[in-house]
Amino acid sequence: MTYAQTIWGMYVRWTTAWPALSAFAPFVPLIALWGFVVWLEIFPRVFLPGPFEVLQTSWSLLYKGILPAYLGDSLVRLAVGAAAGMALAIPLGIFIGLNQRAHDATWPVLLFFQAIGDIAWLPILLVWFGFGLTTMTFVIVYTVMFPVILNTVLGIRSARPELERAAQSLGASRTRILFEVTLPGALPNIITGLRNGLGYGWRALIAAEIIVGTSGIGFLMFDARRAGSVDEIVVGMIVLGILWYIVDSWILAPIERATGERWGLVTT
Amino acid sequence: MKNLSLENLSKTYFDPYAGTTVNAVQDVSLNVDAGDFVAVVGPSGCGKTTILNMIAGFVPISGGRVLVGGKEVKGPGPDRGVVFQSFALFPWKTVAENVTFGPKMRGVGKAERAKIAQEYLALAGLSHAADRYPNELSGGMQQRVGVVRALANNPDVLLMDEPFASVDAQTRMTLQEELTRIWEERRPTIIFITHDVSEAVFLANRVVVLSKGNVLKEVDIDLPRPRSWDRLVEDGDFKALSNKVLQLVRSA
Repeated sequence: MTYAQTIWGMYVRWTTAWPALSAFAPFVPLIALWGFVVWLEIFPRVFLPGPFEVLQTSWSLLYKGILPAYLGDSLVRLAVGAAAGMALAIPLGIFIGLNQRAHDATWPVLLFFQAIGDIAWLPILLVWFGFGLTTMTFVIVYTVMFPVILNTVLGIRSARPELERAAQSLGASRTRILFEVTLPGALPNIITGLRNGLGYGWRALIAAEIIVGTSGIGFLMFDARRAGSVDEIVVGMIVLGILWYIVDSWILAPIERATGERWGLVTT
Repeated sequence: MKNLSLENLSKTYFDPYAGTTVNAVQDVSLNVDAGDFVAVVGPSGCGKTTILNMIAGFVPISGGRVLVGGKEVKGPGPDRGVVFQSFALFPWKTVAENVTFGPKMRGVGKAERAKIAQEYLALAGLSHAADRYPNELSGGMQQRVGVVRALANNPDVLLMDEPFASVDAQTRMTLQEELTRIWEERRPTIIFITHDVSEAVFLANRVVVLSKGNVLKEVDIDLPRPRSWDRLVEDGDFKALSNKVLQLVRSA
């Protein structure tokens, strides 16, 4: 009992001193378990490489410049697609959220197309645009757009009516109410949409790269399958996980802390 | 500050569940002089909030007119400041930004707005909280912001819709005393909706008792000012007036 308490005490002290450690610590038992299973040699090494081999492979991929180049390609595709998707989705969501008739006219269509998930578009896109950047961009833009539109509409429509009344009786015009009251109120929902959109978009990108790609993390993984190097596939999987953690905790979470949480609109 | 008058104000609406037309407010006429403080009391469902919503322009008027300074009003406007039961502060704006929202909408410059914020936050005893967000304040402090936000926009009349109903009893008494102090200092025209009889008697110059959408009776409150709970809670005149109004409300 006392041992466990001592270790827990050390853990608490260390994670307070180095907060980055608390993000890594939960993976320690997972990696240990992975190493243990590999050490038992239940599966042949070529099917299940150990942590050290994967580390070695990542180092060599980094060293050769393949991993940075492919990672860069994937990130640029995601950034461009997400930016285009947001630029289309947010104004559209605002319009549909504000206009009851537009809402009635478009909502069933939006739900219909949201259901045709990203990858389900690939076959027809390949026929139309071939194996290229257009296909990939289309898939990402499409995937990012729907969660952002749907959540923006939700945010606009769930505005508290008394805030609008307060603004009106303080002399605000319709346009000022939109920018000072309605949009800030919808911001937490818009960010939720963005979080979902980026998450789905990232997955859609990997899928598109597997099928379409000539570069990128998805391509790296699928290409490694062809060469039979499981360790490279595992490297790709780990990179995906790490990258999402970074996007979430370095970009999305700080935005949420500075807005919705600070204003008391989102309870943590 | 201007006077407010209601001429034969009515509100009827169709109740889709009962399938009948309901007269929420019938033929209410009322005059509030410039700089006067009038409280409206009545049991729930008597139409008092509907009247306030019509004066504020939040709901359409079925019949009659609302005049502010002799001019008929249509829809919401900055001439009628509103204090809400739910405070209705903008969560994404600091206390100072909330208070100067009205002036900002009028196009008042930044330096002038800073002065307004300082003046009105001092009036509410909130100078220390200027840069905080509403959700970081207690309910009582939030409603102080709600009151001075409406005042800082220099409305002709101030409409208050059960503003202290959602704060605790001790804070409520403090807020009531502060409101009478602010009223004595600045003499805004106030119409104050409440279901709390002693609150109405404590605050107002005149209490209007509503019943089923009609004015049942108007009671003049000639208690001396400044008023404080320490003195009035045992005061014979206050008790007699409260009792009189309470009997009217209960008979309503």
